[in-house]
Amino acid sequence: MRRFLPDVMLLAAAAIFPYSVARIFLDTPIERTMGTAFKIFFFHVPMGWLCMLMALVCGIAAGIELRRRSTTASAVALAAAEIGFVCGLGVLLTGPIWGNATWGKPWTGDARQMSTALLWLILAAYLLIRHYGPENSRRLAAALAIFGAVDVPIIYYAVKLWKTTHPTTEVVGSLPPALWASLWPGLGALVLCTLGLMGIRIRQLLIAEELDDAWVRLADRRG
Amino acid sequence: MRLLRQIRLLLVAELRQEIRSFEVVLTSAFFSLVMLALFALSLGAIPASAQVAAAPGALWLSVAFVGGLTLTRVFDRERESDTLRALLVAPVDRLAIYFAKAAIALLVLLIATAVLVPGLVVVFPAAAPMAERPLFTAALVVLGCVGYVAVGTLFAAGLATGSGKNVLLSLILHPLTTPVLMFNLVATRALLEAHPGADAYLGRMAAVDVILVGLGAWLFEPVLVGGGGSQRRAAARPGRGA
Repeated sequence: MRRFLPDVMLLAAAAIFPYSVARIFLDTPIERTMGTAFKIFFFHVPMGWLCMLMALVCGIAAGIELRRRSTTASAVALAAAEIGFVCGLGVLLTGPIWGNATWGKPWTGDARQMSTALLWLILAAYLLIRHYGPENSRRLAAALAIFGAVDVPIIYYAVKLWKTTHPTTEVVGSLPPALWASLWPGLGALVLCTLGLMGIRIRQLLIAEELDDAWVRLADRRG
Repeated sequence: MRLLRQIRLLLVAELRQEIRSFEVVLTSAFFSLVMLALFALSLGAIPASAQVAAAPGALWLSVAFVGGLTLTRVFDRERESDTLRALLVAPVDRLAIYFAKAAIALLVLLIATAVLVPGLVVVFPAAAPMAERPLFTAALVVLGCVGYVAVGTLFAAGLATGSGKNVLLSLILHPLTTPVLMFNLVATRALLEAHPGADAYLGRMAAVDVILVGLGAWLFEPVLVGGGGSQRRAAARPGRGA
């Protein structure tokens, strides 16, 4: 059963997602000040949360990997970074569209925009190091992920010292119940999809690791 | 005390090596002059109101680029003769290696800023407060460079123990040092604008430095001295770096 859990999650996500899209576009009232562009909120916010969560998971898994030299933690860190990278890309693409409709320009250099962009750059650097780094790249990448997880709040605070135009967390928190009700199915579908893909990717990485080990054992036996 | 003595011994060795040729100091100082010339050519004619924003950017971008060059060169010397590996097997605390390397990189970076700051005051008249408040500027530069060096030393050392690929240092260093550089930018701009809360920024920079130095020192040994299994696997694996 555990083996099929990621597939079950992906199937559940595939079932919920069309319902979520239909609800967002057909049943949710149009927001008064931002208009139709506000629909982006239902995709942008969950992807932003997931990107942050994946960066945190990557940092924690990297810490465990460095401490215990765990192959599973290494696979979790890489899978989380890959998914965080994709979610971050989604946030950085949908954010400027929403920003252009709301603030009149796609990029304002706001604290959250900058911190998300830099987090995405750190995740990209992590993936580049994991794929193209030297022989000790896993340890280097793990340190990078830990620094990245620590850096994000610092970056956020640093940019906030300048200026912020982004909606505050209170604005998101004070949404009418109808809008919240439309956010949950989409968020649920994205979380299930993320966990399912993560499960598959972790399994794939562990199998690749086992194959590498088998190759080394074979090379040793041949002398 | 033992750690301090080891740091001092390693630092003296580093300084002795540097004094023989002044290679890193001279190249970093010259590169600082090149950066100054480029900023003077590209931004020298902008109005004074824009200079307040441009001068801090020019200073900390130059520090970022000079820092990358310095850290690469400091560890290239170790790589060329494979002495970092020798140092790691020597009966020396790894923390002492980290702090000695960070100290020499910091020293070179501070010499480079000694060229950069007066140069920027000449290029951008709006940067005059940096000359008018030398103590504040010195504290700002030292705190800014400490954070940068704390991150840079860890990753430059990590790449030096690998096989080549130190071109990746820029990939790692610039996204990770952005928070330090941002704090530095904010503090420098506060100085140029004679902001009443400018002194408080120094405290925040010191706090960020403490976090980064602590993390760098904590991660130095795990990053440099990993398990033999992963290296053996990587060496035996065809066509893959990791």
